Amino acid sequence: MSITSSFPSELITKYGLAGPRYTSYPTALQFHEGFDAEAYRRHVRYSNDDLIPRPLSLYVHLPFCRELCYYCACNKKVTQNTQLAELYLEFLDKEIEMQGKLFDSDRQVIQLHFGGGTPTYYNDMQLRHIVERLSANFLLSRSASREFSIEIDPRTVDEGRLAHLAEIGFNRVSMGIQDFDPAVQKAVNRIQDEGKTLRLIEAARESGFNSVSVDLIYGLPLQTAKSFEKTIDSVLTVRPNRLSVYNYAHLPHLFRAQRMINTEEVPAPEVRLQLLASTITKLTGAGYVYIGMDHFALPDDELSIAMQNGTLQRNFQGYSTCRETDLVGMGVSAIGKVGNSFVQNLKDIRDWQAAIENGELPVWRGLSLSGEDRLRRGVISAIMCQGFVRFADFEQNYDIDFNDHFALELKSLKPIEEDGLVKLSEGSIEVTPTGLLLLRAIAMKFDEYLVNDPQGKSYSKVI
Amino acid sequence: MSSDIQQKPYFPERILVACSQCTLGDLCLPRSLDAAGVEQFEHIVNKSRPIQPGEHIFRAGDKFQSIAAVRAGCFKSYVIDKNGEEQVLGFYLPGEIIGFDAIHEKVHKANVVALDTSSVCGLSFESVTEMARQLPQLQDELFRVMSLHIAELEASAADLSAEERIASLLCSLSKRFASRGYSAKEFNLSMSRRDIASNLRLATETISRVLARFQSAGIIRVNRKKVAILEPEKLKELARRDTC
Repeated sequence: MSITSSFPSELITKYGLAGPRYTSYPTALQFHEGFDAEAYRRHVRYSNDDLIPRPLSLYVHLPFCRELCYYCACNKKVTQNTQLAELYLEFLDKEIEMQGKLFDSDRQVIQLHFGGGTPTYYNDMQLRHIVERLSANFLLSRSASREFSIEIDPRTVDEGRLAHLAEIGFNRVSMGIQDFDPAVQKAVNRIQDEGKTLRLIEAARESGFNSVSVDLIYGLPLQTAKSFEKTIDSVLTVRPNRLSVYNYAHLPHLFRAQRMINTEEVPAPEVRLQLLASTITKLTGAGYVYIGMDHFALPDDELSIAMQNGTLQRNFQGYSTCRETDLVGMGVSAIGKVGNSFVQNLKDIRDWQAAIENGELPVWRGLSLSGEDRLRRGVISAIMCQGFVRFADFEQNYDIDFNDHFALELKSLKPIEEDGLVKLSEGSIEVTPTGLLLLRAIAMKFDEYLVNDPQGKSYSKVI
Repeated sequence: MSSDIQQKPYFPERILVACSQCTLGDLCLPRSLDAAGVEQFEHIVNKSRPIQPGEHIFRAGDKFQSIAAVRAGCFKSYVIDKNGEEQVLGFYLPGEIIGFDAIHEKVHKANVVALDTSSVCGLSFESVTEMARQLPQLQDELFRVMSLHIAELEASAADLSAEERIASLLCSLSKRFASRGYSAKEFNLSMSRRDIASNLRLATETISRVLARFQSAGIIRVNRKKVAILEPEKLKELARRDTC
């Protein structure tokens, strides 16, 4: 792909402002507590009433970790006390049952994701138990095309455990690697053996997982372009189907774990830029397709094919190829998306348990989308997933004149067009290969809520 | 059972309703009357306040006093069977008359609930019958509307497959929307798939399965509760009845 031929360092520096990742629009910052369990139930009811209800995606949040990785910004609980985690499962069982009752029993689950924390903090029996509870309360698809995935911390599994995960129904794994350099691993408190990790990826394939995805992070302390290239070279020897290369956002004022990181060791902006440039060059050189944001996939992977066909979707895990689903989030802080609403569970484990104890859905907050929100969500999704916005698609569905309705937004895209990120025409916006690297900066122009937070202080850096 | 009607009068005051100005003039009861007849009719019509989704205008067991003409929105009528299950009897669109089933026993047989923000014109049945004695055109119209109801019910009692029932409902709705000046090819349904299933005596999942089949055959396109009919001729063929 041509994005690598001349890496637009200047533009990335110029647009290197903060911005949301748009795994949802409106973003979670807009969620409010006025949206309660009753509102959630109402939206679920509407969704059941659809003539052809959407299939379901389930997300299960398992927040426990043995050790703290210093870069982590997730909602997790670090503990050696397995009783806490055991107790958590009892409440999770109850939430699964409550949620299962809300949805009509003929709605198939075509997508399932266990995220964390560290889902593999739990042992084989416990993970099997969760899948069984899900299966008892939801209609899990038996089709081979279902996407049942689990995040794996290679330090917590062996070949036998991987085979067990395949046996209980998972067909995709996502392996957390971050970086193989021992100095970097030490600086972030995540020591994991390179050889073992690579062997596990091979083992996952042998166990029948049809997709292996790998997570890396650039921008970690002590990383250099050279050291990170070594990590990538090593990962490429096992050719994962997908790679997510996330940018580390150092926000110690927001995330306590990050205060353990020596700020002076965090790479300077120009080093980050080199890291990003060499990552993209290396991966595309090795035949991977750049999907957008942080994601790369082999050309024969469904993500790459969906990108070509224009059927890509954006979701909380990044990108997906599934048809549009309603997402049911279970576990502490889990986010769901049902019909025209978002919902998020209580983020404190004790609060979450207390609500369930009282027989209540553990809803913390959420959002019911307005017509304007839905329109803008559609435009932002077209930018992030298709790299192309056809005005006519929105004019029919939303009864607007696009040029008129978005006059200000289109005007604000002019300088972005001059920089070669987009091509504007009378009836469309086209993202250029350069623009693909800066999708957020383009999408932000259509975010109605950024007006109140123009610097986007609460967001991570675009690159 | 206490009645909503007694607690909250839906037909509270006799504001003069201008049937002559109403957009449903071609569909509603006074459609065959001459100008003088329409003016006379206007005096017996009570217009209701807006009715919210989920509000009932009649409850089974209510004493029969009035019939109602739908002015806006959509209603469903249903009974509760002895197992406590809801059985949906029918759906009413603007211009259609609700309450004829109550005439012979002077008691409403069905519950009637708004599915959308709606409104109705209330008609005291006593006044309607009295006026029908003087205006034979009105009497003819009453017979015609009742006969249409009976014909619809007889047609739906036939031994039809799930596909035929669903195609036939879509045809019927398409036709009814068209005669109200809406698009025959694209409409938003107010009823849930559960209501439709109950009305057609099919399983809820059958509705979705059959609609999905129609969709993959390119006959319709469904988005949530919006239906677009892409191949009306094919749909009519599937419905195999002449109500289309």
